Order: sequence, then structure tokens, then C-alpha cells
Amino acid sequence: MRIWIEFALKEPLRFLSHLDLLRTWQRAVRRAAMPLVYSQGFNPHPKMAFAAPLPVGATSLGEYVDIQFATEITDEKIAALQAVLPAGLEILQWRVVPQRAPALMSLVKAAEWSVKIPNAQGLPERVQKILQATSLPIVRRTKKKVSTIDLRPYLYRLEMTPSGRLEMLLAMGNSGGTKPREVLELLQIPAAEAQLLRRKILLAAGPYLQSPMAVLLKEKEVFFNAEADYYQL
Amino acid sequence: MKNYKEKFWQEILPRVQKPVRYLGNEVNAQSKDHEQCTMRIALVFPDLYEIGMSHLGLKILYHLLNERRQWAAERVFMPGADLEEIMREEKFPLCSLETVTPVAHFDLVGVTLQYELSYTTVLQMLDLAGIPLLAAERGEGDPLVVGGGPGAFNPEPIADFFDFFVIGDAEEVFPEIVQLLEEHKSLPRQEKLLQLVALPGVYVPSLYRAQYSPAGSFVKLEPVHPLAPTRVRRAVVADLDKAYYPTDFVVPYGSIVHDRLMLEIFRGCTRGCRFCQAGMIYRPVRERKKETLRRLAQKMVRATGYEEIALSSLSSGDYSAIGELIQDLSADLAREGVTLSLPSLRLDSFSEGLARQSQQVRKSGLTFAPEAGTQRLRDVINKNITEAELISAARDAFAAGWTNIKLYFMIGLPTETDEDLLGIVHLTQQVLNTYKQVCGKGKPQVTVSASVFVPKAHTPFQWFGQVPQAEIKRRQDLLRQHLRLPGVHFQWHGAEMSLLEAAIARGGRELAPVILRAAQLGCKLDSWDEHFRFALWQQAFAENGLELATCAQREYALTDPLPWDHIDAGVSKRYLQREYKRALKGETTKDCREGCLGCGMVLLLDEENRGVCTNADLD
Repeated sequence: MRIWIEFALKEPLRFLSHLDLLRTWQRAVRRAAMPLVYSQGFNPHPKMAFAAPLPVGATSLGEYVDIQFATEITDEKIAALQAVLPAGLEILQWRVVPQRAPALMSLVKAAEWSVKIPNAQGLPERVQKILQATSLPIVRRTKKKVSTIDLRPYLYRLEMTPSGRLEMLLAMGNSGGTKPREVLELLQIPAAEAQLLRRKILLAAGPYLQSPMAVLLKEKEVFFNAEADYYQL
Repeated sequence: MKNYKEKFWQEILPRVQKPVRYLGNEVNAQSKDHEQCTMRIALVFPDLYEIGMSHLGLKILYHLLNERRQWAAERVFMPGADLEEIMREEKFPLCSLETVTPVAHFDLVGVTLQYELSYTTVLQMLDLAGIPLLAAERGEGDPLVVGGGPGAFNPEPIADFFDFFVIGDAEEVFPEIVQLLEEHKSLPRQEKLLQLVALPGVYVPSLYRAQYSPAGSFVKLEPVHPLAPTRVRRAVVADLDKAYYPTDFVVPYGSIVHDRLMLEIFRGCTRGCRFCQAGMIYRPVRERKKETLRRLAQKMVRATGYEEIALSSLSSGDYSAIGELIQDLSADLAREGVTLSLPSLRLDSFSEGLARQSQQVRKSGLTFAPEAGTQRLRDVINKNITEAELISAARDAFAAGWTNIKLYFMIGLPTETDEDLLGIVHLTQQVLNTYKQVCGKGKPQVTVSASVFVPKAHTPFQWFGQVPQAEIKRRQDLLRQHLRLPGVHFQWHGAEMSLLEAAIARGGRELAPVILRAAQLGCKLDSWDEHFRFALWQQAFAENGLELATCAQREYALTDPLPWDHIDAGVSKRYLQREYKRALKGETTKDCREGCLGCGMVLLLDEENRGVCTNADLD
């Protein structure tokens, strides 16, 4: 049975890398004695993948993992899994998905972030300036090349709350996007000072953005669910 | 600094490169409220997390002590260079992982002494913890510092830094130590040590005085307190099958050096290789029963979720029913989707059957250890393996699908000549030829690894000096030239590291100021190439009127008093002398399962646990 699990990743585990987190989930599933489906081939590995890597140091209230089990899954089994997860990983919801549904990772379109900033002086002005800009070119370096990217289309939403948090909705995924660190750099906020929280990850459902727990799934198709919360782009 | 944990998590961890090493909240880690505990024990492993977490002894002790609800045992590793710098800058003390409690606040600090090259790291850690490095300078407010592990079998070079040592197996005696300290919590430190001295394996170095000749050579070590025994008998767990073994191993988040479960199938070794300290100091062979091992394996997998389990021992093929054990275990584990790996297989026990049984096992690579290149030298070191056995084992391995073989040798063994070195080349070529015969086309990967022999205390080779460095380098060059063969990768180890190891391994108390000075000069993590600072070590020796090379090459006469004579490892000096003489004559000694050799071990065992040990001596 293939399922998606929504989980929170809290303070005690915020320094785990993507690979550390994957290992942690795999070993927890094994402790819960829930048989996994393995890939075929010379070096079989369990069919388990996250929606999107979380930056080291960030916490999250909406992470998603896509797992294929060899057996049926029930609420009782999920409770047993929760019982063997390390402190800091909390299962929030889960759902069964069609066997042939696309990889969760391939559907990701955006993420909502909330950033705690110790010193917000002058920040509201800088946020305004960025929002008014028609293009925001930045330089991106990979091992192979250096390229210039316009961040503006990836900033869906950006605002300061009265309590001094920076709330952002940023494009992410296969069709392009940006990371919080790039936006913080534009805003001249030192990365070490900012405490990142990912509130949720959103999938593309038709013209809308919607939670992986809400979208309708049929065979290989993903549909917008009119009865749940959604974002319009 | 009131709340260490908060500061560490909020201000320090975000700035370090591998924070996952320092979280202390891994699955099965034991975190207790210290207010509710009567004894707090910091278990220090003087190396990085990834190394320390791969060490079985630490795991056993950690879980064993935490079995008692009122005792809190926590882990402490050497911080990486980046964290160490931050800690020194901010004057943040060395803390335990679990509760981020300063090490100095614990009642007892237990240090694993796994290798000589970790000694400066011990001092760096004590310094980071704010604990006086010299035991004599510690006050009533400081924890007691105890050392254990193979390093404690010659404790003299580091005797000044420890309040006491535990010699031998810790499973039984360590809880007794903690219990005694718990009962006598209000006594002054000196009184506590006098209480401990009656326990098996406990050595309190401050109760002894070492004497040296005017020329600086060791004369004797004598007790200066009536309660101190003349010789300290090693603590022995007689029945390993009944001994404590943990199943709820801590599960690291990041990958560590040995990232798998370890199942110790037996302790000790009957082979009697003359260079091998482990083969001498862990006698006699004590096995866990097959059914015990199956039960432990099952529980370990359930408690940790690990995907791999390795059988651990000095020579797994020597387990009395290794075939059945592997068969049963791999059947059990296959049901759980767990793989079984078998390190420490001796060549002669690697049969075709064993190769076939480990078919399900991951074919990562196979290590064979002929140790020396010619039969003559293998006879000298009593490594009773023939060339025919090596070739037959290689044939079986290639036939079973392995292509990756590692051959492990030592250079600088007593009596070694160039002919022995060329023997290594010859053996390697034979292995390559075997591959061609078995597999026809293709190329195997043969790694030839040559480490430098370091004579160790309590072995028949303890009287030999190390071969001078220039000569070691010449021998390494010779091998390098001759091992430029297709499919062969030659690995050798820095002669300088081995030189330092040798200089410390057979030293006495004269070395304490040297080690202290090296640490002050900044030496630490000496077994890491990127940290090893040979010039600083040379300086530390020189400033104390000693020469590093001379210490490493020091030969003892068979009749000389040795700085570790007061440590009774079980194996008698007479037996070691006999083996030394046989070595020089090229005479081998049989496996002691074929008949007791009178090594003296029997004297440390009570009647029902003597096994193959029957004679205290041969005469």
C-alpha cells in the first residue's frame, strides 16, 4: 500500500541532513516491523522519498514522505510507527494514494515559510522595495556553471507580520523556484541569524496550489479539491 | 553560564559543520534527570563521534550502567576542530551529549584507551572540560578519572593523568566500582581510591612509585601503600554467555565508521600470533551460545531498525559452530530484511562452504591477513597459514563472486629480510594468477596493505625494538616499486605515526611529561593524518631529554624489569619468554585448543570456567 504522511519536524531534529532524515525514517519503519517495498536491481533500496529536502537548521510543520509498504496500513500501524519515531518527528496526517500516482516530489510547486528575524530594523522598507521591483536578478553558482536568475516570478508572497516574522510563499520544484536563503540574501539578512520554519509544502492542482493531504488523486492524475483550502496564483 | 543546553543549541550548534554529531538525542540514547540520579558517569571516547560510536566496548558500558535507574551514563566525544575552536573562544566547557552537562560536573569520568595515539586527545578533552590534567592536582570537587581498554595494559605512560585504571573486562567490575563509589560518596578522593583497590582489575597508580637507574632505565615499580597489591590481576568475565550484552544500541543519524549492529560472538583467541596484543590480553576464548546469539540478534534488529548486523570477534571463523551459526542467523535475518556481514575471517577458516553461505551477504570486499610474505617469517610470528591456504581461500572467494580482495601485511617484523618483502609481491602475484584461472577475463581489485609493526606490551614480541624509520621507509619503497602491477593497489601507513605508537606503547612513567608537553604544544587526534604533528612530538621528547626514535627502538633483555610487569594480564612472563625464543628459532606453536600451552591464564579462572586451560605452566 502506498501512502503519503504529513509530519512535523521540530527543534530536536532540525540539524539533520536530508540523508540523515531518510535513514531515520527507514530505521523507524523497520522498528515498527512494517514491511517496505524495495526497488528491483543490484542494490535494492526501500521505496521511500520526501516531497522536498528541508534545509539543515530549519524546522517544519508540514513535511511529506511518500512510502510504499508491502502490506495494508491502518491507523493502528501509524500509531505504532509514531511510537518508535525519535522525539521531534510527529505524524500529523496520512492518506492512501493510488499505486500509480506520480512521485510526490514531482508535484511540488511551492512552499510557505516563516522566518524569525532577531533584528528587523529597516526590514519592512526593504521588503517593500523588493515587492515593487519588476525583476530581481541574482547569481546562482553550481559546480558546473554560473548563471543569472530572476527571482521575482518565484516570490508569490512576501510580508512582515506585526510580530516581526517574515512570511513567504516561494515557488519550488521542477518548474523552477527559489530557496529562503536566496531571498534572505536579497534582504541582507545574515543566514545564521534567521530561524527558518517551513509551514507547508504545496502541490500544483490545476491552476491552484493545494496541500498534498487535500488534492484529489485518481490513477496518475492530480485534481483540485474544491472542498479544501487552496491558494490561487 | 546557567543553561548549557540552551546556549549550545541556540548559539553554538548552528555554527558548526556537522551538528548531527552533537545532538545526543538519537534513538535509544539515555537521557536522565540528574537530580534524580545518585551517580553520574561521563563515558569519554578520545576521538570523533564517528569513531567512538563504532566502538563496541563503549556501547556495552553505556547501556550496562544505564540499566540502573539511579545512574546516568552519558557519552562524550572529542569535538571537531571547528567546534573546539568555538568552545575555546567562548570558554564553553566540554559537555556530555545527552544532557549537555559539563564533564567536570560528573562523579566519574571513564575514558576508553583504545590506542596510544589517542592519549593527547584525552588530555585535550580534560583540558576542554576544565579538569586538572594531573591526577595529583585534582581536588575534592573534581570527578575521579578512570581509564580502561587495551591501553590500560601498559598504563604507565599515562599513569599521572588517571586516578585509577580498570584492567580487563569491565562488565562485572565496573558496576561494582560505581556502586562502591555510590556507597562512599562522602569520603575524600584518596579514601575512595583505597576502597576501590580491593576490586579485581583496579590499579591506582598514585599508590606506587617507579624507580629509575641513574642512566634513566626502568628499575622497578613498588607499592607505597599497604593496601596496594604488588601485582594487579586483570578482571575476567568468566562466562561470556551469561554476561550482559546490550540490544538497544543507540542509532546514529549520520553515517559513522561502522554503521551496523555488532554482535560479539566470542572474546579471546586461541591462535597465539606472537605480535598480537589482543590475542594475549583477552584470553581465554569465551563463546556465546548460538541460541543466545540468535535471540540477541533478533532483539537488536527490533530495537534499532538497523539494516545490517556484523559478527564481531578476533577471528570469526574460529567460532566452534560457525557454519551453523551463519546458516541460522542468516535465515532469521532474511525474514527481517537484514543482511549479515562477517569481518575478521581467517584465511584458513574461509572455506568454500562459508563462502557459499555468505552468498546472501553483501559482497563488499574481503580482507585476508597473511601478515608476512614467506613461510619462514609466518612461522616466526606464529601465523599458521600457508601459501596454499591463501590461494585456496582466494580461489573460493573468486568463485563465489568476490572480485575485491584486501591482503593485509605487516612490515618491520622481527627477523624480516628483503626476501620476506619480495614474498609479499610473490603472494600478490599468485592471487592475481588465481583470479585469471577462476574467472578468465576481467580484472580483480587486490589491495595490498602494509602497516608497520609496533611491538606491544604483554606479547612475545614485547622485548623487540621497532625497526629504524629510515629502514622502514626503504622497505616501503621496495614494496611500492615491486607492487606496480595491474589490478593491485598498494596502501602503506606513515612510518612516523607507527614510530610514535611504538615509542609510547612500551614506555614507562618517564613519558608522562612528554605526552603532557605534546598536548600543550597542540597535539591531538594523532591518528588522523590531518592532525598529526610529528615535529611537535619530537620537540616534546627532546624537551624532556628523550629521543623519540630511541624510545621506539628500545630493546629489552629477557631478564630486564618491564614497566608493565605489575599488570597481570593472565599470560605469564615465562610463557611470553618461551614464545620469544621459539620465534627466533622459527618454531611454531600450535593452537591452544589442541592442548594447553601453560600460558598461565588458568590462574585467573575459577574451576568451572577453565575450558581448554589446564596448566599454569609447562614444567
